[in-house]
Amino acid sequence: MASRRDFLKLTGACGLALGLPEELLARIAEVQDPLQAYPERAWEDFYRKEFAATRGDAVGYAFHCSNCQGNCAFHVFAKDGMVTREEQLAQYPQISPSIPDPNPRGCNKGTIHSQAMYEKDRLLYPLKRAGRRGSGKWKRISWDQAIGEIAEKTVETIARHGPAGVMLYVGTGILSQGRRAGPLRLGSLMGAIRLYPSSAVGDMFTGATLAYGIPNVGTSLDAWFEMDYIVLWSFNPNVTRIPDAHYLWEAKWRGAKIVVISPDYNPTAIHADRWIPIQPGSDSFLAMSLVHVVLAEKLYKEDFIREQTDLPFLVREDDGRLLRLADLRQGGRDDVFYCWDEATGKAAPMPGTRGHIRKSLRLGALKPALTGRFEVAGADGKPIPVTTVFEKVRAEAQKFSPEATQKHTGIHPGVVRQLAREYAAAHDPGLTIGFSLHKYAWGVLACWAQALFCALTGHDVVDTEHQWSLGGIGPLASPKPSRFSSGFLGEWFSGRMSETFRRHYPAKEFANRTGLTPDGLVQLAERSRADKWLANYGEPRVRILFADNMFRRNKSSEHYKKTVLDATELYVNVNFRMDSSAELADYVLPAISHYEGWDIRGEVGYHRYVNLTVPPKGLKPIGETKSEWEICRLLAERIEAAAGRRGLGRIPDPAFTVERDGKKEPLTRDLDTLHADFTMQGKLGNDKDVVKWLIENVPAFQPWKFEDAVERGFIVLNSNAGLTSPLYADKPYRSFEEQFYLKRPYPTLSGRQQFCIDQEVFAKLGCTVPTAREALHPSRFPLKYYSPHTRWGIHSTWRTSKYMLRLQRGVPHLNLNPADAAKRGIKDGDTVRVFNDVGEFRTMAKILPGVRPGTLMMDHAWEPHQFARRRGMDAPVAGLLSPLELAGGWGHLRFGAEWDGNQLAYESSVEVAKA
Amino acid sequence: MSKRQLAMVMDLNKCIGCQTCTTACKTQWTNRNGREYMYWNNVETHPGNGYPRKWQESGGGFDASGNLRPGRIPDMNQDYGAPFDLNYEQALNPLGQGTSGEPPQLAPARMPYWGANWDEDQGAGDYPNNYYFYLPRICNHCTNPACLAACPRQAIYKREQDGIVLIDQERCRGYQHCVAACPYKKVYYNPLFKRSEKCIFCYPRIEQGLPPACAQQCVGRIRFVGYLDDAAGPVHKLVTKWKVALPLHAELGTQPNVYYVPPLSPYRYDAEGTLTSERRIPDEYLVKLFGPRVPEVISLLEAERERKRRGEPSELMDLLIAYRHEEMFKLDAPSPSKPGGARLRVIPIVAVQDLERRLSERAIAAGGHAGGAA
Ligand code: SF4
Ligand code: SF4
Ligand code: SF4
Repeated sequence: MASRRDFLKLTGACGLALGLPEELLARIAEVQDPLQAYPERAWEDFYRKEFAATRGDAVGYAFHCSNCQGNCAFHVFAKDGMVTREEQLAQYPQISPSIPDPNPRGCNKGTIHSQAMYEKDRLLYPLKRAGRRGSGKWKRISWDQAIGEIAEKTVETIARHGPAGVMLYVGTGILSQGRRAGPLRLGSLMGAIRLYPSSAVGDMFTGATLAYGIPNVGTSLDAWFEMDYIVLWSFNPNVTRIPDAHYLWEAKWRGAKIVVISPDYNPTAIHADRWIPIQPGSDSFLAMSLVHVVLAEKLYKEDFIREQTDLPFLVREDDGRLLRLADLRQGGRDDVFYCWDEATGKAAPMPGTRGHIRKSLRLGALKPALTGRFEVAGADGKPIPVTTVFEKVRAEAQKFSPEATQKHTGIHPGVVRQLAREYAAAHDPGLTIGFSLHKYAWGVLACWAQALFCALTGHDVVDTEHQWSLGGIGPLASPKPSRFSSGFLGEWFSGRMSETFRRHYPAKEFANRTGLTPDGLVQLAERSRADKWLANYGEPRVRILFADNMFRRNKSSEHYKKTVLDATELYVNVNFRMDSSAELADYVLPAISHYEGWDIRGEVGYHRYVNLTVPPKGLKPIGETKSEWEICRLLAERIEAAAGRRGLGRIPDPAFTVERDGKKEPLTRDLDTLHADFTMQGKLGNDKDVVKWLIENVPAFQPWKFEDAVERGFIVLNSNAGLTSPLYADKPYRSFEEQFYLKRPYPTLSGRQQFCIDQEVFAKLGCTVPTAREALHPSRFPLKYYSPHTRWGIHSTWRTSKYMLRLQRGVPHLNLNPADAAKRGIKDGDTVRVFNDVGEFRTMAKILPGVRPGTLMMDHAWEPHQFARRRGMDAPVAGLLSPLELAGGWGHLRFGAEWDGNQLAYESSVEVAKA
Repeated sequence: MSKRQLAMVMDLNKCIGCQTCTTACKTQWTNRNGREYMYWNNVETHPGNGYPRKWQESGGGFDASGNLRPGRIPDMNQDYGAPFDLNYEQALNPLGQGTSGEPPQLAPARMPYWGANWDEDQGAGDYPNNYYFYLPRICNHCTNPACLAACPRQAIYKREQDGIVLIDQERCRGYQHCVAACPYKKVYYNPLFKRSEKCIFCYPRIEQGLPPACAQQCVGRIRFVGYLDDAAGPVHKLVTKWKVALPLHAELGTQPNVYYVPPLSPYRYDAEGTLTSERRIPDEYLVKLFGPRVPEVISLLEAERERKRRGEPSELMDLLIAYRHEEMFKLDAPSPSKPGGARLRVIPIVAVQDLERRLSERAIAAGGHAGGAA
């Protein structure tokens, strides 16, 4: 141990010698050797008091209802009516002793909301624009004036243009069942336009829909702990699934091998056994190579694919279409399909397809051939040569040996073969993909081929983002049909993104890679709208947005902003803070944030707990903020009044019909009873009533009572929450047990996992079975630009919190590989210009060795107002659509919650230079 | 000498770099009162400069003969990074007050030079063999604290009951000898109170049976807390029994009481792009931080993991898996006083039906027989 004398000798050396006043030296003598004993410890109350202050005098429960799928329960502490701090509840029960419990759940963002909710960007009063849009000039007005003026304009628009003149949209800033209900209900009663959010933000797993009929499949994330071989593909859960990531590393200690596939060495890869670096956008090639290896080395499980997939279905060799009853019999159905029955040596209809009377996958005496070429007699008596889907798949996969795809993916064939073999041989492997994959045009193909790979190996399904099926919410959120529209297509048309698309993608190069000219793609989008493959109701004049950062999230952002604002007569933004979209509005209405109102959320399939928000007792409202429910109620009241003054009562809306006394009649929009309808005849006066209603009416919440939930801050879903399997009390959830064990059909045309789709777009592009296509990044700019999710925000929520920014660099930054930076004379910390023929922005450069050479990576969702001249990071991202996602009108490819496309974000090329 | 020692073990193989611990400590202690710039808990990317910048080169601690080594006081801007505010009002004008001209972009009032996480995810090496990992750091509550030895006012002591190192906030006069002397740079000068402060191992929480905020709230479930001498606790088992948890820079002589399970890492690629069997973080780098036993510990971890993979029991792996969050902490305190009043009865999971019944009922409903060709 060092003596004090030794130290005093040294103080001169570090230049810190300070003279000590006599009387203080005298007090020092009281302590002999503090390492041994310390006499005066009463001062310790100092920190005890601070602790007590943060614990406050009231406690509530909360979760964060933003577009985070974490859904984590927190305690919220308050003192004198102000929130002081939050802390994860950490009281979820363990489902079984052999699975780690889910506690504490929560993340860096959730643990600073207590600070962010009082930040200086918080909206406190209704504001009305007092200059041109975006000028930052406002007038503070009363709620009465704000709601009155908005209602008046809304009614005027409905009178002139019908219900389609109004968009009432609640974005992904609120995804909870409680707070989301208000805007959904009001929009549905009025017949307003609303986009499909998952599609607008590019979160649809379209490849999964092709294969399974539904996009959100897979497991609850505790299932990772049971697996012995885990592939995380285009998925970075250490950043994007913070509360559940522990299951991966606990699985690793249980012996699981972990493989991460991504272009950059991301924070998940650092803990993997193997990281497979891949060229961005080339995933469909890797997936097809895995299929290739499994087929070539006969690693597939025949029993599984015979029963559970359409691989034994017969397909015509002349036109490549699936063989249907209609081909064999005049006037026959087109949703009955055939296999070649080896038992009888004849074509036989497969049970379980949409048109077959037997709704089961059980094959019974049937012995469907997987391989072979056959002939059947057509309806006109002429022979039709047929083969199996399996043969077609095999022929297609033949083209994609690991050696052949290396030039696209950059992955050594040995690595690919090892991956395919190990996966096929594993006892309980899992392949989970993230939202990044479908941000590329061929993500849909990659995911479809991954599904095929999983099916061939007999191992379950590709894991996307499983969600619970709660049920019972319809009467609350959609009492009448709203104008539910395709998200990605709506944004494409509203923002006239075809213009930036044409500019960025050279015709020849694009056509070579897609099989479609740029004009062809634009026409296909028109066709998809005209033929109602995807729903679109035209451009709204009034936009009332709740919790949607529309002008932040859309690509070609500058172009989009101008186009949309020019076409919008009234733009209202309801928000808790002044984000990059609120600042462009005509009216800004201040809403509550996560801890200030009643709320409930339970649809997120990563875990089984339904969280509640119960504000701490005595919490003071922040400024004049109101709950979304209250804002919608006020709107309903004033719209009804304004309509009454114009003599508008029940407006027929012939786009929708209802059955009355056996007759079809146009639906009416009853503006004369809007307020009573909105409040369910007074039953739902406020947000607390809504939470009560949900707990009473959602079957998956039974048997819990409102009081139970309020007491604990959460409830547990019952077994009915599973869509395709029961949710067992003591086991992680896994999709499709009803299909695997009960042999019930999948919600696809074939009733099986489907790997042949002969819809005309698929046929035209040569994609009737899974295949691979080259990424679309134009070669005339050298760097591929992509923007994955960040750990520092849930999209733009918390992105501008100083507590988050202080743990980054304070300003947006772009990540470059050291070699790419050196080539351009760029150093860490320099300001750089990122540009192409669509747009440009300025930002700070950060040198990151884990970024792939030839790519630029920037964490997404920085607010445009964090950049010079408010030009955000999506300014140079061109509009782009995946042609396959425009298809529709076929089998299970019909617009709705299960089928809509993605706004693509990762397939633009740029250059970067020192600014 | 304290009678007992509370200690923390962090499994770096589970740390995801999320900084929830950092924000938990921030709102618990350092978002106010002159502490705004401090991160009593920080998480830094290694290799890297860390926080405060280049703390590993800032001296302090003891030399081989037990004398204090000179140390440097980090600079507020260059090393800690002053905590900037943002121009929310001017840039966003959320209250709609009168403005003139174009609103400026939202940005720090003063551009930071450095910050607590400035070199996040950078690390070292060349793509695709580059490497990094996260190192969370709090005060080590050392058995031989350099801060304590350096304090001329004898204002720093170790609590008898738990070995927590505290700076007496009434006695401290802010000379900052401790700041320079701590080789981990885990003492901070409070310019408002004019005295030094540091991580207090959340003793007000410990005294109520609550784990430290950074540990309780660690969502990666990497942190274990308990008394070193408690043979039944996870800390003792990991440090003393299995010996897989190692102190950071033990060579500096302070005898730290925070221990780390060193990280494994993905295999390297050779020039052709095929995988080798060599882990990408060089052993030398980890040895520099955690001492010569690193290779031995990593082999043990791999061997136990292999056992578990084969379905054999492994106490070590079970400990690191941590099946129950609350069992990661063993504080020997009376029953925890959880907020929200009386402790709730344990919430049961709703078991509506068991598998067999549900499946068989559905099968019957569906016809209950295998279908032949229609
Ligand atoms: S880490 Fe530093 S501050 Fe903490 S006890 Fe050790 S020497 Fe003192
Ligand atoms: S123990 Fe408490 S004071 Fe110390 S770093 Fe952790 S949270 Fe902060
Ligand atoms: S909370 Fe835990 S996992 Fe996250 S950075 Fe801190 S120590 Fe690591």
